[in-house]
Amino acid sequence: MKETYAKGWLKDALGIFNLELGRLLRDGGVMIIFVVAGFLYPILYNFVYRNGVLENTPVAVVDNADCSDSRRMIREIDASRELATAYRCTDMEEAKDLMQKRKVNGIIYFPADFGEKVARQETAVFSIYADMSSFLYYKNVLMGSEFVMLHEINNIKVQRLRLDGLTDQQAGATVGAVLYEDNNPWNRAFSYSIFLISAILMLIIQQVMFYGMSMSVGTMREENRSFASLPDTLKGRGVGRVVLGRGAVYWLIFMTIGIYVGVIVPAMFGFPQRGSFWEIIILLAIFVTVCVFFCMTWSTLVTRRESAFILFLFMSPVCIFLTGCSWPTTAFPAFWKWFSYLFPSTFGCQAFINLNTAGADLEIVAPQLRALCLQGIVYFLLACGAVYVENFVIKRKDRIEEVRKGVEERIERRIGAGEIQI
Amino acid sequence: MTFFEKIRSVVRREIRIWVRRPVYIVGSVFVMAFCTLFYLSFLRDGVPSDVPIAVVDLDRTATSREFCRQLDATQLGKVVMYDDFAEARFDMQGGRVTSVCVIPEGFNRDIQAQRQPTFSFYINGLYFLSGSLAWKDILTMVNLTNGAVQREVLRMKGVPESLIMGQLQPVDVDVHQIGNPTMNYGAYLANMMIPGMLQMVVVILMIYSLGTELKYGTSRHLLNAVDGDIYAAVSGKMALYTVLFTLIGWTLEVILYKWMHFPLAGRLGQMLLACFLLVVASEAVAVFIIGLVPVCRFALSIGALYSVLGLSMTGFTLPVEAMPTGLRGLTMMYPLRYYYDIYVQAGIFGSGFGQWYICVVALLLFCFLPFLVMKRLKHAYEYLDYERN
Repeated sequence: MKETYAKGWLKDALGIFNLELGRLLRDGGVMIIFVVAGFLYPILYNFVYRNGVLENTPVAVVDNADCSDSRRMIREIDASRELATAYRCTDMEEAKDLMQKRKVNGIIYFPADFGEKVARQETAVFSIYADMSSFLYYKNVLMGSEFVMLHEINNIKVQRLRLDGLTDQQAGATVGAVLYEDNNPWNRAFSYSIFLISAILMLIIQQVMFYGMSMSVGTMREENRSFASLPDTLKGRGVGRVVLGRGAVYWLIFMTIGIYVGVIVPAMFGFPQRGSFWEIIILLAIFVTVCVFFCMTWSTLVTRRESAFILFLFMSPVCIFLTGCSWPTTAFPAFWKWFSYLFPSTFGCQAFINLNTAGADLEIVAPQLRALCLQGIVYFLLACGAVYVENFVIKRKDRIEEVRKGVEERIERRIGAGEIQI
Repeated sequence: MTFFEKIRSVVRREIRIWVRRPVYIVGSVFVMAFCTLFYLSFLRDGVPSDVPIAVVDLDRTATSREFCRQLDATQLGKVVMYDDFAEARFDMQGGRVTSVCVIPEGFNRDIQAQRQPTFSFYINGLYFLSGSLAWKDILTMVNLTNGAVQREVLRMKGVPESLIMGQLQPVDVDVHQIGNPTMNYGAYLANMMIPGMLQMVVVILMIYSLGTELKYGTSRHLLNAVDGDIYAAVSGKMALYTVLFTLIGWTLEVILYKWMHFPLAGRLGQMLLACFLLVVASEAVAVFIIGLVPVCRFALSIGALYSVLGLSMTGFTLPVEAMPTGLRGLTMMYPLRYYYDIYVQAGIFGSGFGQWYICVVALLLFCFLPFLVMKRLKHAYEYLDYERN
């Protein structure tokens, strides 16, 4: 029976699939990366960022005014979610000392004329000093004291307007001419973990795959084999089945890890899961596919088993920044914006944040999915190109080797025949 | 052979390895140069500007348009107008705008009639920095709008202009940011990310340098060169890497504080000392890891896991006290944590050695770690009885 092209293709691809799978399963180092990093990292990060909200940041209070207004404000500051008045100091020196000793992360200072100024209907100014060693301290000190200040301002104003003869309702309407309603629907308390974990989860998939695959490619290179050997019968054709056959192994492994990372881990830690399950699976399927071709392309640069760690480990934190989850993409310098397009994680993380945590649907993340697909096509072609080039070089190497051997043999023969004297 | 001569022969041998395999220099100099370039140029603006804020103006009056113009004029915001809320929400959910403001119909009319219209705004808190800055920006604008209305009322009542400010703003706050007065996000991150990357590179490269001897079976050659003295072998390698990484680290510190002029309350020398100690302590951790697991690949995997997590565990983003209790102890395993403490004391508060000597002691304590595994490492180097790959 004559073999059709499709049948032959499938047979070859399956053979390569089996070969690669066997190779991976026998390679303890790679399996450790996949299992330990792929399964443990999401859990570790969730643990570290478990309490994403910093509460009751300790502050020292220096109350030189000692009036009813300042005392009320101090009480309100203490009652706020953000701050706790841990120390009452008699002067700034004492408070400064406490801050240096890191007993407090902020100082709130009421000058002696605070109460008088309020009474004289001037602007009374109090000062806050925030420890900038972590921006979360600053955020708490600023937000805590500003909320109290806004509340106090309203109270004072209403009081004064009433003294001017306005009714309660009139006074309220004047002070609050515009009411506002703020909503932060997907991260209500500005939790650090909800924002960071959303981005990290997808990045873990990409990075783990990259280190694992690089390790496997490096091993083969060290053992003088190639990841890209084509079936001998095909005479240099059939690049596609090598890429797809090998890719399928990684795709299957990482769809498993992906579902664990993207669906099960969030559920384990009570992380928001607002997207539909199937839409997340679709995103994962696309993202993992692109990651496979991405890793295949870049891992060709790796020549030794360990090089990936030495040369590319520093990329993981860089990739987090390139997703735009902290520094906004609109403020990226042009070069880094283009640079970020190299990584599937840039779009994958954004799509996951929107889909899973903001509860968007596929239509909303369509731009990211389109970008991922485009990346996938480009990296697929590059991966094929890499296999082709690799084969080309291997063939050349063989021919060079043949020529060299031929020359050596001839010389030896001539030595044997006594034509050359040593 | 004296100890000094042994060290010299190890150093010579290591330099020959560097020349033969460029991965050491690429992995240290090039990687650190790239990271420095990245963190300094990526965050060069310090504070993001012109972040898109969606406005759905259902009122379409002079007042609402004035509000949009004012919001657009802030440093942070760039107003993008939308016709209806659904469209704006679509883009906010897709992360294309940071927030949506809705100016309700009849906004102007209701203000004039003192009917207190409600202004709603929505923030996408998943994009943390832009979200929280937009929140602050919009809130300020709402309060200013309120202030403008009140000023009109006060003027109509005949309150003299000189008293109006006190009426509008009875209490004000004067904010002092200690250690980063311009609220430069770039300085805040680069100050710790760059030493963090240094710690990572030191740990990985040091493990690799000791591990390859096992992998390629050259460890006996190394031991022969030093008459079987493992202490000399490890010290020799550490000495050379300390010089390399300290030079890299010092260059970076000078770039951060002298060239970029990031705020530093203390003296540069204190940071240089901290940097040197960070390098030495990280090397000690690396020796400890390879000694504990004398298989190059495993040790590298552990080193990678350890050092990537180090950036989070230092507590400069999410402070240590916000971490679960069980994890707080683990943060002490990272030299970077003490470097951070020294930076906070010397760099932010400008306090003297007396305040942070304990961190120096802690970093020096790391140097005892290698002694715990020397015997084991020597055994592995001599007999090569562990898995090579």
